[in-house]
Formats: sequence, C-alpha cells, structure tokens
Amino acid sequence: MAIQMRTGKAKERGQALMMEPMIDCVFLLLIFFMVSAIMRVPPPFTVTLPESATKHDFPRKKFNLFISADGRISFDDLEMLTLDHMEMYLSSKESQITTLIIKADRLAKHGRVIDVMERAKRRFSKTEGQEIALMVAEESYGN
Amino acid sequence: MASTQAPSGMTRMAGRERRSPKLDMAPMIDCVFLLLIFFMVSTSFAPMPGIRVQLPPPGKPNPNKPKGLIVRIANPEGVQKYGTMILNDEIVNINQMFTEFIHAPEEIKNMVIIQSERDVIHEQIINVMDIAKQAGIDKIGFAVVARE
Repeated sequence: MAIQMRTGKAKERGQALMMEPMIDCVFLLLIFFMVSAIMRVPPPFTVTLPESATKHDFPRKKFNLFISADGRISFDDLEMLTLDHMEMYLSSKESQITTLIIKADRLAKHGRVIDVMERAKRRFSKTEGQEIALMVAEESYGN
Repeated sequence: MASTQAPSGMTRMAGRERRSPKLDMAPMIDCVFLLLIFFMVSTSFAPMPGIRVQLPPPGKPNPNKPKGLIVRIANPEGVQKYGTMILNDEIVNINQMFTEFIHAPEEIKNMVIIQSERDVIHEQIINVMDIAKQAGIDKIGFAVVARE
C-alpha cells in the first residue's frame, strides 16, 4: 500500500514515507545481528558464579563448561555423565576451543574443579596457547 | 471454473490480472522486524569476567619443589561454609592473608601454592586467588594429590 502511495498519487504530493531505504537498513541490521549472535545456551542446572574483585574480560564463546554445586558437569546444555565422557567430547571439539571457559558454581567442590582442569590439561597438552578461564560473577550495578 | 456463479476468488483474480502484480511488503517487513528484535535482544557483546589460569606445559611435573607461599585449606567442618586456612603454620582469615602476602619475603613472593582438600568450596579458592592477585602475586599453583 505504501508503495502504491509512493508510486501513485503521493509522489505528486511529495509526503510519502520512503520504505525501501528503511527496509534495506533493517535487512542489514538483521544480517549483522544474525551473524554476530552467539546463542546463550543455559546448562541443565543452575550455576551461581563466585565473586571476585580482580578479573579479566573474556569474549563470549560457545562451548562453556559448567560445573554444578553437586558436581554435575555439562558442556553448554549437553550434560556429561562421566569425566571420561567429558574428555572425549573435549578432544572432539578441541580445534574450536582456544580458551576453555569453566563456569563453576560457588559451592562446587574444589576437587571436582581440579579433576576437570586436569582432564582439560591432558587434552590440551598437544596444542600451544590454550588456557583455562575460571569465570566469576559479573558486577552487579546496584553497588 | 464456475462461470455462472462468480466466487470472490475469481473476481480477485480478474482484478489482479488487470493491475500489475505487486509484492505485498507489509507482512514481510513485520517478520523481518520481529527477527531483528529477537536477535538484538538475544545478542550480548559485553565480555564475561573471569580469572585466567595458565596451565603448566605438558610433561612430567617439575621435580624441583617450587618456591612460593603455601596456603593449606582444610575441608569445612560441620556447618562451617569455609575450611580453615593455614599459612606459615598459622591459622589465618582472608584479611590476615592479604597482609601476610604483602609482607612476605621477596624470594617466595612470586607464587602462591594452594594445597586444598577436595571438599573445599570453589568460592573459597576464588577468594584466595583474588587476594593473591590483589597483593600483586600473579602465579598461582594448585597442589593436587596424585590418584590412581
């Protein structure tokens, strides 16, 4: 209808809304967001990250490793039943992971976190430059 | 192909033939806007905060005993949330630990070794790492018990 208006009577009046440039912009924006979107995949359990005053910033990536308070492990939304399972999955995705992001619950047992880091270290020992990041809670803006 | 009764569809078709065909843009634009809003809301560019852990190079563990401040953390007992922390054979809390780290002799100040029992909660370890980084010690080691 708008196009009819533009091409028809409204063109003479000169007050029609120009639709095409807007649609072009919207499409460009859409493509930009589609390409840059990294879906946040929640783990099958809730994880409350610990707080820390010193922190580095890491870009958001896929393949985050979650550890729950009761020691369950999951890669994004895929739960790993055993450490061996986790290690196999890690080795299959090794080429896509530069920094292994570990999101461990604040009440998770340290022994479990160390187990996971040890397995990751074993897997990553072949390639150079891989590192692990222990995620901490984002700053709350209230305080 | 009813010729006697002219259904509404037929009249519409006849009308369409007369006019030049037009693409109906409005529903498409609606969809595109919805998609755009969905992607805009679900994308976040803000980086995630975390603590970098550099893994030691592969191979056998270093046979030389690394020099550093050794923090021992025991399993939490009973209703306690945090385990007891021992630094230089003294029980310390997290604030005392910071001053101990600051005033540590230079030759062992380059590294903190965390010897922790398995049931210590992750938050306590992060706290110790945080204190060490605040005191200017960047190297942190985890001592683990070798298991079969």
